[in-house]
Amino acid sequence: MAIKLRFKAKADGDVVKVKGLVKHPMISYDMAKAKGGEANFLTYMKAEHNGEIVFEASTSQFLSKNPVVKFAFKGAKSGDSVKISVEDLKGEKSSKEFKIK
Amino acid sequence: MMNRRNFVRLGLGAVAAAGLVPSSLFAVDFRKEKPDAWKAKTPADAIKAIFGTDKMDKSGVSLKAPEIAENGAVIPITIKEVPAGAKTVAIFQDANPESAVAVFTIHPRSVANGISVRIKMKKTGKVTVVADVDGKLFYDEKQVKVTKGGCGG
Repeated sequence: MAIKLRFKAKADGDVVKVKGLVKHPMISYDMAKAKGGEANFLTYMKAEHNGEIVFEASTSQFLSKNPVVKFAFKGAKSGDSVKISVEDLKGEKSSKEFKIK
Repeated sequence: MMNRRNFVRLGLGAVAAAGLVPSSLFAVDFRKEKPDAWKAKTPADAIKAIFGTDKMDKSGVSLKAPEIAENGAVIPITIKEVPAGAKTVAIFQDANPESAVAVFTIHPRSVANGISVRIKMKKTGKVTVVADVDGKLFYDEKQVKVTKGGCGG
C-alpha cells in the first residue's frame, strides 16, 4: 500500500510555505527489537516544482511516527503544483502532487 | 557551436561539473552517499562522517527546541536560521543509540530558514544543528529535557 502523503502549500509573496504529514509507523531498530517486528522508517523526502528540487531531506529512524515537516521555497505561485516524494528503508516509494493555494 | 543533441549526450554530470546546470536537478541522498554516518553514535562522529570535520563555530545558526518535552516521541525542532549560502544543514542529538537525525540539502530555490520536523528522543539530551557554508561549519545546540522517553520502549 502506498505511503500516504498529506500536504498543504500556500504562496506568501514569492515564498511558498509547505506543511505536511507522511503516514508512516517510523519503527526504529530498538522498537523493532522490543516488539519483534522489522525496522522501517522514512529515509528520504523531496519536493519538486517544475522539475527542480526545492526541498530535500535524508532522514533517520528518529523522526516521529507520522512525521510532520514544514519547509518553504521560492519561485512558485498560486495555482502551481508541488510534488512531494518519499522513500523508506524497505525501498517503498510514494509521490503526490499538491496544488499551491 | 555544439548542436543540442550532442550537448545532451555530454551527460548532466559533465555539464554540472562545468557549472552550467543548477544543482536543483541533482538529488542528494545522504543515506546512500554516507551510509556510515547514520550508524555513528555520538554527534561528533556523525558530524565528522557527514561534513568531513567536526570543527564548528557557534554562530549563525538558530535552533528552536522545547526546554521540556513531555512526550519524547514527538519533539518539534525548528531550524530558525542558518547562515546565507549554507548548502547542507543537519540535525543531530545525543540521546538515542545513533546520533544523526536528518540531513537537508539546500537547493537554489530552497528557503533554509524555518525547516521544521518532529523527532523522537529516548531521554534527555542535546540537539545540535550544523550548517555547512563552503566547508565551514556553524552550529547551535539546545538541551531538551525529556520526561517520557520516546522510542516506544
